[in-house]
Amino acid sequence: MSLALRIIPRLDIKGPNLVKGIHLEGLRVLGKPEAFAKFYYEQGADELFYQDVVASLYGRNSLQEIISRTAKEIFIPLTVGGGIRNIEDISNMLQAGADKVSINTSAISNPEFIGLASNIFGSSTIVISIEAIKQPDGSYIAFTDNGRNSSGKEVISWVKEIEQLGAGEILLTFVDKEGSGKGFDLVLAKQICDAVKIPVVIHGGAGNMRHVLDAVKDLPLSGVAIASLFHYDFILHNRQIDGYEEEGNIDFLKSNRVLSSIESKSIKELKLLLLDNNVLCRIDE
Amino acid sequence: MNKPYKIAVIDYQMSNMFSIKNALTALGFEVEVTSDYSTIISCDGAILPGVGSFPEAMKHIKELNLEASIIDFIASGKPFLGICLGFHLLFDKSNEIEDTFGLGVIPGEVKHLSVLNEEIRIPHVGWNKIQKKQKHNIKNNFDPLKKLNEQEYFYFIHSFYVEPEDNNDIYSTTEYGGINFCSSILKDNIFACQFHPEKSGRKGANILSEIFNR
Amino acid sequence: MGFKRGNIEKQVNVMPKNVLWCKKCVLSNQRPRITFDEDGVCTGCRNAVYKNGSQIDWNLREKELVKLLDQHRRDDGHWDVIVPSSGGKDSGYVAHQLRYKYGMNPLTVTWSPLQYTDIGFQNFQSCIDAGFTNLLCTPNGRFQRKLARLCFEELGDAFHVFVLGQSAYPFQMAKRLGIKLVFYGENGDVDYGGDPEYLDKPCKPSSEVGKQISKGAPFRELLDFGLKNKDYLSSDDFTEADLTFYEPPSTEELTQSGIQGMHYFSYYHKWSPQENYYYCAEHTGFKPNPERTEGTYSKYASLDDKMDGFHYYLRYIKFGLGRCMEEAAHEIRDGHITREEGVALMNRYEGEFPKKYFKDFLEYLDITEAHFWEVVDTWRAPHLWRKVDGNWELKHPIK
Repeated sequence: MSLALRIIPRLDIKGPNLVKGIHLEGLRVLGKPEAFAKFYYEQGADELFYQDVVASLYGRNSLQEIISRTAKEIFIPLTVGGGIRNIEDISNMLQAGADKVSINTSAISNPEFIGLASNIFGSSTIVISIEAIKQPDGSYIAFTDNGRNSSGKEVISWVKEIEQLGAGEILLTFVDKEGSGKGFDLVLAKQICDAVKIPVVIHGGAGNMRHVLDAVKDLPLSGVAIASLFHYDFILHNRQIDGYEEEGNIDFLKSNRVLSSIESKSIKELKLLLLDNNVLCRIDE
Repeated sequence: MNKPYKIAVIDYQMSNMFSIKNALTALGFEVEVTSDYSTIISCDGAILPGVGSFPEAMKHIKELNLEASIIDFIASGKPFLGICLGFHLLFDKSNEIEDTFGLGVIPGEVKHLSVLNEEIRIPHVGWNKIQKKQKHNIKNNFDPLKKLNEQEYFYFIHSFYVEPEDNNDIYSTTEYGGINFCSSILKDNIFACQFHPEKSGRKGANILSEIFNR
Repeated sequence: MGFKRGNIEKQVNVMPKNVLWCKKCVLSNQRPRITFDEDGVCTGCRNAVYKNGSQIDWNLREKELVKLLDQHRRDDGHWDVIVPSSGGKDSGYVAHQLRYKYGMNPLTVTWSPLQYTDIGFQNFQSCIDAGFTNLLCTPNGRFQRKLARLCFEELGDAFHVFVLGQSAYPFQMAKRLGIKLVFYGENGDVDYGGDPEYLDKPCKPSSEVGKQISKGAPFRELLDFGLKNKDYLSSDDFTEADLTFYEPPSTEELTQSGIQGMHYFSYYHKWSPQENYYYCAEHTGFKPNPERTEGTYSKYASLDDKMDGFHYYLRYIKFGLGRCMEEAAHEIRDGHITREEGVALMNRYEGEFPKKYFKDFLEYLDITEAHFWEVVDTWRAPHLWRKVDGNWELKHPIK
C-alpha cells in the first residue's frame, strides 16, 4: 500500500501559548505555537493538529488568529479542535484556514451534530476526538472538556455510532497514557481499529520512537499524533523565555530541566527509523 | 512590463478558499477569490477548488450562475485547475448522496471508493504517490506534472473518485489498498487533480508554479 | 426540636460584614486572617508578587537549604528528616527532592484521611514505591467518627478532626524517633493569603505548631464541649492514649528534643503546585483524579479523602469561600491563568455540591440527610446568604 503513515505533531494551546500537560492536566508552557509549527513543517510533519485545551472550560475558542497566521506560511493540512460547538464555529475555523475540525464535547452532548456537520462540510472535514479513560472493570469511558467530565459513554459503542453518523476520521487519545511517555494503549487501539472502517489516528503516550514503531507495525493506523516526544526535543535548542507577560506557567522553561520520562526526538529521526523498519513515510527533501 | 499574474479562485461559497489563496500568494501570484463572471474571465488563470458534497456544490454553482464563468474560462485556453471536489464537478455526474449532474466538461462519472474495494478505509486521507501516464496529446506545452518524481507524496482527502470515460484524459493514477484510481486528468488547458497541491508542501507548490507559470 | 450550635467556633464572629473581592485574584475578604490594601489587593497577591518576583535570590536560598540539610544529614542509618506526607503532589515533591537531590534520609509520615479514595490510596502507595519508608497512622475509628460529627456541628467542618491529627502527628513522631527536622511544602497561610509575618522565614517556631488551625477552639476545649453537650459522645468512646496524636507535644518538649518547628520547602524553592504535579507524575507515579474534582476545575489537588469535598463545601457555606476560588486564586498569582479566567471558572464550579461521596459522608458521621442540612443552614452567615424562591444564593457573588 502506498499511502504513507501520517506523523502529526499535536499542539495544545492556551491563549497565546503552547502548553503540555500530563493526562491532559496542567498548563506548563513550552513556547509559542508559531515557532513549533514552523519547525515541524520544515522537519516534514504531515499535518498539524491544534487543540485549544481550555475552550470548553471557558466556553470560548480562540485559535482563529493563530490558524490564520499559520496557514499563510505552512502548506500542510491543519486540523483544529477545542470549543467547536456549532456549524458557525466550523465555518469560522475553515475560513480562518483550517482544513479539518476536531469535535468532542459537542459531539457527545449532541451526536446529531456530527451528521449535520458532515453533510454540510463533507465527512472528511469532520474529525471526532475521543478522550478515553480506563475504568476499574477494564472498559473505557469517553470524557469531555479536556478529560474533565465523564460522558458515561463506553468508547467502543461510541466510536461505532460516530462512524454511522458520518464522521470522516477518529482521533483517539489515551488519557491514562498522555504525557506520561509510557507508550500507547495498544489494546484499546486495536479494538478501535477493528470496530470501524474510517481512518483512525492515535494520540497519547509516545515516550520514545520505539513506542510509535510498535503501534504502527501491527495496527492499520492512519496516523499518529505526537506531542511530548517532539516538543521536549524542540525546546532543547529553542527555549523562548520572554514574551509571557500576560500569562503562562513558564517555571519549567526557565529551569532548563530535561524531562526524564521522555526520550525526545525530532520528526526526521522518527521517520528515518520508521522507514528503516519498512513503514512507509513521507520524507520531504 | 510585469503585469502581475492574476488567478481567480472561483468562490461557490462552500469551501475553505484561504488555503489555496495563501499558497498562491506565497508563490507571488495575485489572487481574486470571486464569483463574478467578468473578474474570472479577465484573470490569467482560474481554479475551481472544493471540499464538501457534490450535490450541494452544484446547487451553489447554479444559484451563483457560475457555470458560464467556468465553461467560458476553459474555452479561453488559459490554464484551469480543478482540485478535489472541483475536480469531480468537471465530470458528467456523481452518485454522491443522490444522482447529480456535474458540469460535463470531461466525460465520465464520480463514484464512491468502496465500489473499487469494500475493505479499504474511507475517506482516503493522507499522503500518497502518483504514477504519471504517458501523455500524447499535450497542448501548448501545458504539462504540469512534467517534473514529477514518482517518489513524491501529495495530500489526499476524499471518499469519491473519478472514472473518466476517455482513457486519454487520464494523467495520473494512484494506488490505495490494492486498487488504482485516477488521481489527475489533463485535457487541453485543464489540469484537475484529486489531491490538494495547496496542502502538499513544497512539492504541491511546485505543481502550482508549473500550472500558472506563464 | 431543631439543631442549635454552640459558640466555640470563633472565626465566624470576626468576618467583615462588607464583602470585597480582590482586584487581582479571586479571593474575598471573608477569608480568615486576610487583609486588603488600599488598592483592593489581598495579602496573598502582595506576598505572591514578592515570592514570584526577582527580589528573591533563589541561588542564595538554595545555599541556605544545603547548609541546613548538611547540619541534619545522618549517615549512621537513622532518619534525619520527617516529611508529613499524604502521597499527594506537594509532599511527594518535597520527599523526593530531599531524598534524591539532597541525599537526606526522609521518613514520610501519614495521618490517614478520614476515608481513602481509590485514587488517593493508589497515589499513596505509588509514592512509597518511589522509595520511601512510611508510617501510616489511622486513629481510633469509633472515636474519630464522633469527633468528626462534633466538628461538623460545632465548627462547621467535619474535616477539622483530620487537620488536628495532621498537624500533631508528625511532631509526636519526631519527638519519639529523635528526628529534629520536620519539612513541609508550603506555608499555607502565606501562599493562600494571610499573615505576612512568616513570608520571609524558612520556618515557623515550635511555639506555632498546631496553633492557627484551631478555629478558636483548642482540642481539649472542643472535646470537653462534646462530652458535655453531645449524647453520641462519651468517655467510653476513647482511652486517654487515643488522644495522643490529636495534640502536638508542648513547646517545651519540642524545644528539649531539638525540634525546630515547621520548615517550609517553599522558602527555598519557588513553589508551584502545578509544577509539583508534573514532578510527581514524572517521578513518583502520581496520577490525577480520573475525573474533575467536584467543586473545582482541577484534577490533581487534594484527592485522597472522600470527606474532603465537605470541608470545602462547608467553608463555602460559612465564608463563601469554595474550593475553586482557592485554586483559581493560586493559579492567578502564579501567572498560569488570568483573573478573567478565574472568574469564569468560579461561575462554573464554585460551590458545586460534592454529591459523589455524600452518602459516605452521612454514614461516616452517622447522621441523616435532614440533620446534615439542618446543621449546614446554621452555618450560613446572614450577611452572605439569602433565600430566593426557596433556593439559597450568595448575596455578593464574584465579580
